[in-house]
Amino acid sequence: MIKVLVIDDEVYVRRLYEDLLTGKGFEVTSTASPKEALDIIRKQKPDIIVLDIELDSDNGLKFIEKYKAECPDVPIILNSAYSIYMSDFKSWMAEAYIVKSSDIQPLVDKITELTGSKREYEQSRK
Amino acid sequence: MPDLYASVSSLDRLNLLNGSFRDSSFGFFVTDESGLLQYLNDEAARIFGFDSINEALEYSIHDFEMNVNCGLSEVFDTILKGKSYQKNEHRCTNRLGHYAVLNISLSPFRGEAGGVSGIVGTILDVTESYRKKVMLEEANHVLSVISQVSEALTSAAELNDVLRIILTGVTANQGLGFNRAFLLLINEKKNILEGKIAIGPGSPDEAHEIWSNLAGRHRTLLELLDDYRESKRNSGSSVSSGIEEWKIPLDKANFFVDALESGSGIIVDHSDELSLESVNILNYLQTESLAVVPIISKDRKLGIIVADNKITGKQITETRVELLQIFANNSATAIEHSRLYNKVLERARELEKINRQLADSQEQVIRAEKMSVIGELTSSIAHELRNPLMVIGGFANLMISSGDAGDNAEYLNIILSETQRSESVLHQVLDFSRASRTSNREIEFNTLAKDAYDYFRSKTKFKQNGFSLSLSEKSTKVWGNPDQLLHVLLQFMHLTAEGMTDECKAKIATFQKDRTVRLTIEFTGSRQARDNAAKMYDRIFGSPNGTQRLSLIVAGETIKYHGGNYGVENSAGGGPTLYIELPALGVSKR
Repeated sequence: MIKVLVIDDEVYVRRLYEDLLTGKGFEVTSTASPKEALDIIRKQKPDIIVLDIELDSDNGLKFIEKYKAECPDVPIILNSAYSIYMSDFKSWMAEAYIVKSSDIQPLVDKITELTGSKREYEQSRK
Repeated sequence: MPDLYASVSSLDRLNLLNGSFRDSSFGFFVTDESGLLQYLNDEAARIFGFDSINEALEYSIHDFEMNVNCGLSEVFDTILKGKSYQKNEHRCTNRLGHYAVLNISLSPFRGEAGGVSGIVGTILDVTESYRKKVMLEEANHVLSVISQVSEALTSAAELNDVLRIILTGVTANQGLGFNRAFLLLINEKKNILEGKIAIGPGSPDEAHEIWSNLAGRHRTLLELLDDYRESKRNSGSSVSSGIEEWKIPLDKANFFVDALESGSGIIVDHSDELSLESVNILNYLQTESLAVVPIISKDRKLGIIVADNKITGKQITETRVELLQIFANNSATAIEHSRLYNKVLERARELEKINRQLADSQEQVIRAEKMSVIGELTSSIAHELRNPLMVIGGFANLMISSGDAGDNAEYLNIILSETQRSESVLHQVLDFSRASRTSNREIEFNTLAKDAYDYFRSKTKFKQNGFSLSLSEKSTKVWGNPDQLLHVLLQFMHLTAEGMTDECKAKIATFQKDRTVRLTIEFTGSRQARDNAAKMYDRIFGSPNGTQRLSLIVAGETIKYHGGNYGVENSAGGGPTLYIELPALGVSKR
C-alpha cells in the first residue's frame, strides 16, 4: 500500500486528507510538526509527502532540504493556501505544488501520478 | 599820451599805482579814453597773456578783446559815460589761448577835473576755485543721482529691474544725462560678456519723441526711477532689440576687455587706434565715441556699462567718465545684492520642492505602512478562512463522491460551489497580501513582464497561443514591490484571457517613453474580434463580477501606490488596448 505522510498544522485538513486518501486506498499518516515528521520519515519510510508551507511552528520550505537529504527519492507535494510561493526557488525542490482547494481532486491526481510506478509494481506483484 | 592827472607827474602816478597794486593778488589796469593801457600790474599782464608790463603798455584792450571776449569793448563806451560794469566767473581765453575764469570789475577813471579820462579795471583769476566749485557741483549732482538711484533700488530685487534702474540713472537728463546706455554682464562659464539691457533712443526722431514726452511731464529723477517700467516704454525699440543676443568674447582684444582689465573707465573714439573687434563694436553701435566703465564689486568683475551721446553728439569728457565710474561702482553692489537675492530665492524654491518631495515620501511611507498592515491583516483573515473553507468544501466533496449524500446531494453541491467561489476571492487576497511583505526595490520592468508572461502561459492552458510578447529595447527600470507588480500583471493577463475568443490575438508589449514605463495588452485580429474584445473590456471595467471587481480594486490600488495609472484606450490598429503606466526610475520624483 502506498504510504502518504501529510504535514499540516490544521487538524481538520489532516482529517480530510486522511479520510479522503484512505478512501482512495492510500495508507495515511499525518502530523502538525515538521520536526516530528523527520522521525516518521525515518521509521515509516513514506512513499510521498504532502507538505503545508505556512505552519504554526515553522515554514515548510525550510524542511524540504532535510527531507530530501533523509529520503531523496520520496516525492514531495507542496500544498499551500498561497500560490505566491511558487516563485520561491526553494519550492522548486518539491516535485509538485498544489494550491489548497475544496476541489481536492488535483491533489489526489498528483499523488497518484507521482506514486504511479510503485503502485504499478505492487499491482504486478499481486 | 593823454594827461590823466594834470597836477601829478607821470612818474608820481606810476609810483602811486605801483605802490598800491604792483604785488596785488588781483590784476589791475588803467586805460585812457581810447582803451590804450596806461597802467597794469604783473597779475593783469599775466592774465592778459603778456610777458611783461612794458610789452602790454603798447596795446589797447580792444586789441585782445577778441580773445578775452569779456564784453569789454561793448561796455567800454558805457563806462566812459560814467557807469560801472561787473562780470563774475567769466570763462575765456587770453591772448595766448590759455583758459581762465575771471571776475571782472570795470569803472570809469576820472581825471583831476572830475571828467572821465579812461577806465580802471580789476580782474581776479578764479579759474581754480571755479574748477573746484564745478567739481563740487558735479560730485553733489552724482551723489544726488546715486542717492536717488539707491533709493529706487531698494524697491527692486529682480536683476532685470535693478539693471533697468541703473541705466535709467545713466541716461535720464536729471541723472548722468547720456543719450544711450548699454549694460553687459560677464558669463564666467562661457568667458563672455552678454548683453542684458539697453536704454535710449535709436534715432533722432525717436529721441525727440521720447525726450519731449519726458520734458513735458517735469518729473524728478526719483519719480522717473520709481516707475522704472516707464523707462522701458521710453527706451527706443531699435536700441534695445537684439541686445540679449550680444555676446562679446573676453579672450579677444577689445576696449571692453581693456576697461575690465584696467579696472577704470575709458573713452573710446573712432579715431583711436583700435583692434578689429573694437571697430566692429563701434560699427555695431553706430557711434563715433563712447564711454566704457567696468562694474566691479570687491575685486570681482561683474560687467560693464557703455554709454554714448550718439544723438546730441555732445563730447564725452573725462569728468563724465569718472562720474559714470562712481555710478558703476555703486551699481555693482546692487547687482551683487540682486544676484544674492535670486540665489536665495532659487534656494528657497529648491527647499520648497524638497519639502514637497519629503511630504510626498512621508505620505508614501505612511501609505506603504498602511498597505503592509492591511496586507498582514487580510492575510491572517484570509488564511484563517481559507483552511476552513477548504475543509468544508472538501468534506462536502467527499460526501458527494462517496455516494452517501442521498437527498442532500443538491445542498452539498451548493455548499461546494459557494465554497469554491469564496476560495477564488481569497486566493487573490492571499497572493496580494503575501506580496506586500516584499520590500520595494529597483525593478527591470521588462524582466517582470517576461516572468509574468511565462508564468501566465505555463498556467493558462486555454487560448494561450493567442498571446505574444514584445519587450522594449530601452531600459525599463521602475521602483516598487516586484511581487505586487507581478501580481498586477498576472491579474490583467488573466482578465484579458477571460475575454479571448479563438479569432482574437493579444499582443503584450513594454515601452519606455519620457518619464513613463508602459505595458500594453493590445487586441488584434478581425474587426469582429476587436469589437468583442472592446465589449469585454467595457463589461469588466463597467460592471465587473465579484472576483473581477476584487482583482481590479487590488490591481488599481497597487498601481496607484506605485505612482502609476491604468486604463483602456484604442490603439492605432483600432483594437482596444489595456495599458499600465508606471514612473520610470531616475526621471520620476522619486
